[in-house]
Amino acid sequence: MRVPLLRTGAGAAGAVAALGAWQLAATAGPLADSPLPSAADSIGRLAGLFATPELWRALGDTVVMAVAGLLLATVVGVLLGVGIGTSPLAMHATRVPLEFLKPIPPIVILPVVVLVLGPTMAMGVFLVFFGCFVAIAVQSAAGVFDTDPVARATGRSYGMGRGEILTRIVLPSALPYIGTAIRVAAPTSLIVAVVAGLLGGGPGLGQSLLLAQISGDQAQLFAYVLALGILGLLVQGLSQWGERRLLHWHPQYRKEAR
Amino acid sequence: MVFTSSIPARTSVARRAGRSGTPRWVLIGTEVLVPIVLLALWWVASANSTNAFFPPLQVILERLVQLVQTPAFLVDVGSSVGNLLLSFVLASVIGVLLGAALGLVRPLAWFVEPTIHFFRAIPPVALVPIFVSLIGFGNETRIISITLAALFPVLISTMDGIRGTEPTLAMVSRVYRIGWFDRLVSVTLPAASPRILSGMQVSLITAFVVMIASEMLGSSTGLGAATLLAQQSFAIADMWVGILVLGVIGYATTAVFTLFRRRVLRWYLASQQQEKNA
Repeated sequence: MRVPLLRTGAGAAGAVAALGAWQLAATAGPLADSPLPSAADSIGRLAGLFATPELWRALGDTVVMAVAGLLLATVVGVLLGVGIGTSPLAMHATRVPLEFLKPIPPIVILPVVVLVLGPTMAMGVFLVFFGCFVAIAVQSAAGVFDTDPVARATGRSYGMGRGEILTRIVLPSALPYIGTAIRVAAPTSLIVAVVAGLLGGGPGLGQSLLLAQISGDQAQLFAYVLALGILGLLVQGLSQWGERRLLHWHPQYRKEAR
Repeated sequence: MVFTSSIPARTSVARRAGRSGTPRWVLIGTEVLVPIVLLALWWVASANSTNAFFPPLQVILERLVQLVQTPAFLVDVGSSVGNLLLSFVLASVIGVLLGAALGLVRPLAWFVEPTIHFFRAIPPVALVPIFVSLIGFGNETRIISITLAALFPVLISTMDGIRGTEPTLAMVSRVYRIGWFDRLVSVTLPAASPRILSGMQVSLITAFVVMIASEMLGSSTGLGAATLLAQQSFAIADMWVGILVLGVIGYATTAVFTLFRRRVLRWYLASQQQEKNA
């Protein structure tokens, strides 16, 4: 018990030291003349922002865009992945297009999406979808592909139909892959939702960030970045917790829980 | 683990026994044909397009050929790719060094880890406005924001990789009285290299995204800036050229890195393959 306590203490001390260094650098240190706002100012501003409806509206818009895009990407990605995983023909047909799309981030197609859909929520949702669905499709296909053939054959021996084998054997066995893909995609969806606001002019925290930068309000800008960091931590924690909670029955996770 | 060994064996036998009735040549044929068909479809479907947003592919490609001959376009591409590569190398070197230090010195890691995780949780693109407001629109702003954004994946994967190394390796190298530096360079880092290279792969994509974002956010040079400018001035063909070239750069850098990774990790991939077939 002593070591975790020591560890938490050291971490807290580190965070305090980092804040102290920031405060010192902004007020007395080498960056005193630069426009860097002090830590106290930024945190104070953040606390003030929490009381304003603007922050909550922007936060809500960003989260809605991220979640809607992620849901859409999950549905399409899993359907596509199951198709790819069950049919070798589909796998070979989609391999090159998917391999080409995989390393291309949504920010590349942002200009044309903004042009077609305008600076709207729909634009953000589409960008998030584009940024997440390929990875989810590839992972689900790998999961389906990795189903134990013996389990599948057993199902066939018991007279299960194709649909039943798919829903009772293949999908449950592919779920950890899909769960991992969604957990990895969750922070991405948040990032893309911010990008949509920052560069595409869509609603949400990205836009608030851009407005703070343009108006030269440094403390406000830093406050929004801090808010994004907190949101990012929340999203990471929630997606990890959700994955473990929903998949605790799977052998891969049972080992971890022990 | 002995009692489960018979089931995976049967599974792997069944897996190797081939799974499909479709002949191999059909599969390879579709793999080659589908991209060609897709491109042809784009060409044909857009040939008589009057939609202002989706000009004919032919027009886009002709514009690409024209633009490649102008020095301004080449300067944009060069500046983008240069920033990307320089920052990626910087981030990798700093990330591995810092990650190694944090992976080896436990108390130091305890001290800074929560702060690092907080920084990593901030969407990397959000760092760009900060540096723009602090340093201005110069090229160093872009390099700093790309480097910082790409630093965290390498840093964290190096730290985890070093912590996750087989304890036996450390014991054996102690038995052979290998000095700490030799041990770091020839035992610990190679053992952690699969993790480190996965982190670098994530860093590369992050660096690519932040490169584009840093150019789109009020800068005047670089391919991202050129593409956004084309979009805002309704030079639709130019915008499509920018998108295509950015896409190709993204694809090519990842492909080159994958080759590099496969080369560096030959021993690791081979041992994994062996384990799978065993």
